[in-house]
Amino acid sequence: MTTTAPPGPAPRTITAVPTTSRATTRRREHTACAVLMAPFFLLLVVVFLIPVCTAVWLSFFGADQPGLGFGPERTVFVGWRSYAVVFTDPTFLAGLGTILGYCLLYIPLLVVGALALALLLDSGAVRLRSWAQLGLFLPHAVPGIIAAIIWLYLYTPGLSPVVELLARADLTIDFLGARAVLPSIVNIALWSNLGYNMVIFYAALRAVPREIIEASVVDGAGPVRTALRVKTPLIRSSIVVVVLFTLIWALQLFTEPMLLSLSSPMISSRFSPAMYIYDAAFTRNNYGLAAAASVILLLCTIALSYGVTRWSNRAGSRGEA
Amino acid sequence: MPGRLSRRSLLAGCLAVPLAGAVGGCSSAGTRASSGAAGPVRITFWSALRGSRQVVDAFNRTQSRIRVDFQQIPSGGQGGYAKLSNAARAGNAPDVATIEYPQVPGFAIDGVARDITGLVSDRLRGQLLPSAWGLTTFDGRVFTVPLDIEPMVMHYRSDLFAQYGLTIPRTWDEFAALARTVRERDPSRRLVVFPTDGGHHFAPYSWGAGAQWFDLRGGAWNVSMVDPPTRNIAAYWQRLIDEDLVFASAVDSRQYDAQIGQGIVLARLTGAWDAGAQKQARPRQAGQWAIAPLPQWDPAHPAVGTQGGSTFAVTQDSAHPEAAMEFIEWQVSHPDALRARLASGTSSQYPAAPALVAVGAAAFDRAYYSGQDIYRLFHEEADKIRNGWIWGPRMTATFRVLQDGFARAAAGEGSLLDAVRTAQSATMSDLEALGLATVEHSG
Repeated sequence: MTTTAPPGPAPRTITAVPTTSRATTRRREHTACAVLMAPFFLLLVVVFLIPVCTAVWLSFFGADQPGLGFGPERTVFVGWRSYAVVFTDPTFLAGLGTILGYCLLYIPLLVVGALALALLLDSGAVRLRSWAQLGLFLPHAVPGIIAAIIWLYLYTPGLSPVVELLARADLTIDFLGARAVLPSIVNIALWSNLGYNMVIFYAALRAVPREIIEASVVDGAGPVRTALRVKTPLIRSSIVVVVLFTLIWALQLFTEPMLLSLSSPMISSRFSPAMYIYDAAFTRNNYGLAAAASVILLLCTIALSYGVTRWSNRAGSRGEA
Repeated sequence: MPGRLSRRSLLAGCLAVPLAGAVGGCSSAGTRASSGAAGPVRITFWSALRGSRQVVDAFNRTQSRIRVDFQQIPSGGQGGYAKLSNAARAGNAPDVATIEYPQVPGFAIDGVARDITGLVSDRLRGQLLPSAWGLTTFDGRVFTVPLDIEPMVMHYRSDLFAQYGLTIPRTWDEFAALARTVRERDPSRRLVVFPTDGGHHFAPYSWGAGAQWFDLRGGAWNVSMVDPPTRNIAAYWQRLIDEDLVFASAVDSRQYDAQIGQGIVLARLTGAWDAGAQKQARPRQAGQWAIAPLPQWDPAHPAVGTQGGSTFAVTQDSAHPEAAMEFIEWQVSHPDALRARLASGTSSQYPAAPALVAVGAAAFDRAYYSGQDIYRLFHEEADKIRNGWIWGPRMTATFRVLQDGFARAAAGEGSLLDAVRTAQSATMSDLEALGLATVEHSG
């Protein structure tokens, strides 16, 4: 029994192997795929799709009481009303204006600054390269709220050694004044993010084939020309990514102005769209309004991101042609 | 619409009969409530008011049917109102909450403060000033019970006034001239600060001048923050700021504390309550302060607004509204309640119950004000409160936008009037987003 029995099933398994194993491997691959991708989709649904859908849903409803409003509250469908209100609210439009100014000031400064630093590092003109890199990157390790507190200290007259030093040199600068407050916030963001984005650019520059650089040098390009005309176009995709991420990050401006508003009356309670949303939800207790403003901010972000990608694609194809 | 309202008021009327009876005969209500469960009815009470602990202790001592659990919470602007809103949303609001006048309509609309029209006994109704009830009654429905009413008065440095030979201004023109004199006598000093964080100062300035920011005519919220009186007030203070006759800065600040402490600012225009706050904050300035009536636009027809003041609400979720109401009634009308509150420290609240004024006057130590009978002054000023003022449904937000504009105006960006205009448009947006019937009056 023991000797005859094994050969029995053996041929069957041998013949079965090609078909079943292909099927099982495919099935196994699928399972592996599903298992490996499940966390992504789970998180996508739980922390992105559900909240977004809830916000969209909320934005179309309101806890309404007709007339003077002293009656019992009912949740009713209000259509586009909250959106219409957000778009006619002067404080929201002012917030949009502020964020636009912030982006126009911050994004070019950040990209140009980070690129310049990365090119400098890559050119070998800097000694102690890793130390310079570390020093520039370190502020990024400081959480945003701590950074804002540090800078709040440096900006506040009477506390700040910087303001005091400037005062000794007969310079009075109110960093939290009406005109200076936006540049002051841009400065905090630059301090936090310059090093991080520089590292991205630097990593991309290290991947540029050395032969191309050598070829350009042989063709007579100086270091500046090499940096601007050869290296920069080669890391265009990194630049696009940095612009994209910075834009998305900048549109959500919240922590820094929220904290600085403790010390500066020039930062209103609805300074940026994100602060408007916070104010709508927690000062005005109007979740529908807050949701509508959130959806508008999301759509603005999507539209601008799409715009950046389209622009870079077109610029890219023109560059290649 | 009218049909539904009348049905609702009919319902309220039906409810009112048994409930008013229950409150009127407190003991019967109490025994009925406590006979079901063993021991006294327990209610919770949140307040940021100083001396509330002592008031609650006194109430718990005087009777055994109702047991009040008190919790001190931060003041409204410091998070107290957010806490109350969130608790109400989560269904664990206290039975009794403290709400300042400007926020009453907001909490009424949000369904936090209960419609207590039927719970207010005739006795209680008669005990409090009609001008105070007017601020907590909307569309014929009462939402909170006033504790104190605070006519705006002028607190001033009597010693410095004497030193500089200044006289008390009776009109706002005299006030402006006085501001100029103060600066001439000492260029480092000013008469007052225009509070850039003081929407609740600017509102009573306008109120006293005859403004009517909100109105319920025609079953809608009529918003007219830029009416002629308010425009005049904005122009008046703008001129004082432009001519550098007053400081324009935040008064909720250490800078302002220093200015008052060092006598750099000679006067404060605030409610009657501030007499006690001043006494507690700066005991060393005893004998240096006095209080005068607010200057007037037309001394023949004096009118003032109120600055500060609190009310008590029974919340929508309260399981024991009758017991809560009994506690509130005791708090606002019983002499022992006021004595307990004043004994706790140095409050100088002007009670909304005229019968308690004598109690307050007796309990307040006049030595700080060189023996001035400040309660008699408050009494005279309280009679000048202009009736008919109504706070808006989103006053915290309205004030914030107004103050954001004031701060910019003080820095030379825009004017006070611009700030008022922006506050009005932002308020309109907020009211529309609540689905309320609104009418905007552009002045």
